[in-house]
Amino acid sequence: MTTETARPSPLQRVSRILLSDYFVLYLSLAYVAALAPFYPVLLTPANISNVLSNMWPLLIVATGQTFVLAIAGIDLSQGAVIAVTSVICAMLIAVTGNEAVLGNAPIWGAVIDGDGGLLSGVTGGLAIAILAMVVAAALIGLLNGVAVAVFGMPAFMVTLVTMLVVSAFAIYLSMSENISGLPEAFIDLGKGDLVSVYFGAQEESKIPRKVIYSFVTYPMVIAIAVAVFAHYLLNRTVFGRYVFAIGSNIRNAQISGVPVRRIVVAIFVISAVCAAIASILYSARLEAGRPTLGAGTFLLDVIGATVIGGTSLFGGKAKIIWTFFGVLFFVLLSNTLNLMNLSAFQVDMVKGAVILAAALLDVLRTRITRETAR
Amino acid sequence: MNLLKTTSAAAIVAAAAAFTGTGANAANICFAFQDLETEFWVAGHMAITTTLTEAGHTVLERNANEDANKQFEQIKDCIAQGVDAIIVIPQDGESAVTIVKEAQAADVPIAVFNRPPTDTSKGIVVVADNKTIAETAVDSIVEEALASAPADKTLNAIIIVGDLGDPNAVGRKDGFYAAINKHQDRFNVVEVASKWDAATALANLEAAVTANPEVDLLFTSSDFLFPTIRSVFEPRGLWKKRGEDGHVLMAGLDGDKTACQLIKEGYVDATGVQDLYFEADAALKGVLEAIENDEAQPNVLIEDPGFALTQANLATDEMKMWGCILLAGE
Repeated sequence: MTTETARPSPLQRVSRILLSDYFVLYLSLAYVAALAPFYPVLLTPANISNVLSNMWPLLIVATGQTFVLAIAGIDLSQGAVIAVTSVICAMLIAVTGNEAVLGNAPIWGAVIDGDGGLLSGVTGGLAIAILAMVVAAALIGLLNGVAVAVFGMPAFMVTLVTMLVVSAFAIYLSMSENISGLPEAFIDLGKGDLVSVYFGAQEESKIPRKVIYSFVTYPMVIAIAVAVFAHYLLNRTVFGRYVFAIGSNIRNAQISGVPVRRIVVAIFVISAVCAAIASILYSARLEAGRPTLGAGTFLLDVIGATVIGGTSLFGGKAKIIWTFFGVLFFVLLSNTLNLMNLSAFQVDMVKGAVILAAALLDVLRTRITRETAR
Repeated sequence: MNLLKTTSAAAIVAAAAAFTGTGANAANICFAFQDLETEFWVAGHMAITTTLTEAGHTVLERNANEDANKQFEQIKDCIAQGVDAIIVIPQDGESAVTIVKEAQAADVPIAVFNRPPTDTSKGIVVVADNKTIAETAVDSIVEEALASAPADKTLNAIIIVGDLGDPNAVGRKDGFYAAINKHQDRFNVVEVASKWDAATALANLEAAVTANPEVDLLFTSSDFLFPTIRSVFEPRGLWKKRGEDGHVLMAGLDGDKTACQLIKEGYVDATGVQDLYFEADAALKGVLEAIENDEAQPNVLIEDPGFALTQANLATDEMKMWGCILLAGE
């Protein structure tokens, strides 16, 4: 007996690669393979360590954005949440305060003074401050969610307004000043090592250097824990199925008995909480609470990385593993553009072009999926 | 731009010769700056890059577009690329501390140009004596204001404050008050926040002038805000030359081309001058000598004493100001 298996046509093969969960990973590997001969520094331990450390906070924010995009929404307020939670945490745990800098801020004297923040030196103060960040973020997410789910307002408009109001509030709290003097235990959350590797003296540089690179870090552990939990929630639970049902067709989901309002509210809360967790890492690595964190082109990075991963802007299609690969590719892209010594303007233009290409690819993949389903 | 480049290059030829004279072989220098919004940063950028490239060094430029996290990542990328030294114009004093720590942990010598870390004990820190420079400039207009006003009149003064996360802004503010407080009972002071942003300064200055239409004296913490001040003052009849009725006494700080032009025209009365070429020279010398001496963590604070260019010394000291040198080149 012989079995005849139809050999896939070249078009089908391309379609399979495009639809593969690992497409962006393959793309990243191909990108590295293509550039490595010209930029050998790309594969040096120091550069790999850099790429990894730049990935983790972005991965956490992008994970939250993935949930929102999965319901065909968007959360523009993540950057503002990062800013306000950064200030909230810093004003509570700073070990010192500088009146010359913060004297005009409304928090001076009430929450922070020359001896530091309210929770400075308090047992468990750091944990309480982090809890305060998460609660503040959850409340902002709740407001977004209620406005979108209950009042039926467009997510774009709601989160845009939240972004404006919350970032203004962050600036008001510290009168736009950074709050430095954070405790070492907090800074370790953004920079601390669990495993670092010694590669010996670096010979190329003029000054012999210690070459010890961080690989397993606290940010890595935190980001992977968030991503694994999010993956489980999105792909292994009823909650996740509801998310995809809403993203695919909200009317059908309502008719099928999906608790749409509750799920939408929960998604915006998840997105904001992810932003607060990322805020811990960003504030800790920069060693200050900063009311301008998450401003500028930050959202471009978050949404770009998520979309590059393959999460659909039309909703109903998202995976955390895609977001992971998207963030990896995006960080690699930024890193290599730096290695190429391009100007900041050229870097942003290239990034924009790549995001546009990813959005076009999303359209193509959606079409292929529809064609295949027929 | 070409003229600026040519003039900058000409102004620092002597310095370039001195650097090559240190004997440092061609080195890879990472030059990371927060943006190039003001004339001071543009001229500083030009001075540093031109000098280094003319001396045969490779410059890796990184523009953070005012994003402290991006600048931190760019510095880490530079370190991974194995640069021999870093010169940074940081986003603010706090991020400068983190960046210096990161570079020194990797044994890469680093110089901080003009905007000092909040902790100036680490790295090669080149900074102007902002407080003294500001005080000298403000002293000159305070004395003039008092001399021309009735003895019992309280005068209204405005200070446009920079980003107080930047120690330069704090120093300039302190210098202003040091001058004003010598005659504390004679002045009402209104503070206008700029955050080193022209749009913010415009909005806040408009509000301040609307609330306090009578202005006797104004100090801006940076010369780059003079065009903004003009756009607020001119429609209100406050933009007048010296000798004209309604002239507001004005001083700034930086010493840029616009300030030089305005002092010559009589709209501005004084400006505190940072010696840009001295500062660029000091930063470059610092890192190149560190490379030459295999010194991974050089720590030194280099202060630029600066001076004030006023209407009184304009004729003699004009060409000591970098902005006037650039203006003359045009």
